[in-house]
Amino acid sequence: MKVADIQTGAKLPDLRIDITAKLIVGGAIASRDYQDVHHDKAAAQALGSPDIFMNILTTNGLVGRYVTDWAGAGARLGAVNIRLGAPNFPGDCMTFSGEVSSVDAESGEVVVAVAGRNRLGDHVTGTVTVGMPA
Amino acid sequence: MSAAPDFSDYLGGDFGPFLAWDEVNAPMIRHWCEAMGDSNPMYTDAEAARAAGFDDIVAPPTMLMAWTMNGYGGKKPPGSGEGNALAVLAAMQAAGYPAVVAVNCEQEYERYLQVGDRVHYRATCEAISEEKTTALGTGFFVTELSTFYNQRDEIVGRQRFRVLQYRPAGQ
Repeated sequence: MKVADIQTGAKLPDLRIDITAKLIVGGAIASRDYQDVHHDKAAAQALGSPDIFMNILTTNGLVGRYVTDWAGAGARLGAVNIRLGAPNFPGDCMTFSGEVSSVDAESGEVVVAVAGRNRLGDHVTGTVTVGMPA
Repeated sequence: MSAAPDFSDYLGGDFGPFLAWDEVNAPMIRHWCEAMGDSNPMYTDAEAARAAGFDDIVAPPTMLMAWTMNGYGGKKPPGSGEGNALAVLAAMQAAGYPAVVAVNCEQEYERYLQVGDRVHYRATCEAISEEKTTALGTGFFVTELSTFYNQRDEIVGRQRFRVLQYRPAGQ
């Protein structure tokens, strides 16, 4: 995809991510985050949480992937700004949606507003900036 | 009601360098991409990375913080600096704001890291808000700014991590 192919207001296809214990633990370990609430259910429950929950770096990685999957191999990630909301627990499903909020045809900079919702509400909202080829 | 305590002495500071245990490497990148479901070939295939204009496999920029995490042993690599840009959180806890929640994470990327790069970062306490009352309770928003560098001391990226340290509503 090139910057000329992208219009402000364009919608990204939704992406459903099944939230499994495997994804939560796998993402935590891939990001070298060994906090017990991301792999140890008893430890998470002792802190008042019903189950283990996804760490921030995994959320960040998934948000980046959602936008670059759409923008294609020519896109370069410039920024990922996220606000954190309801936790991602095993057994849930998070659906990403996105919409192009600005396009700078000259610089190739495209900003996408992203939300990832699960059954509790917004897990994550934010913006992703990508540089697109001319 | 007494005035909110003043934590402004904790603002600023320059902590670090905090080093990475490993240089940027293909196995850690592949493990990350498997977990994230990211199949962008420039993260796993050197030919694809060269076709994209890089010299070798590059890392997903969102891995920025992962390179410098303490990991299983919970220790920083030898040669890392001392101190903690978020020392204010312990002071707030002691002052009656026991709970903490992460609110925002903002990352900006200046350049892609490629296999063989060595990452380190320096951190500062960039902002402490006035005392605020939110749905969760009453407390302070605290922002840590971490600036990441490569082995040539070029800036790779920045991360602003904002937490709310608070006294839960009703307590």
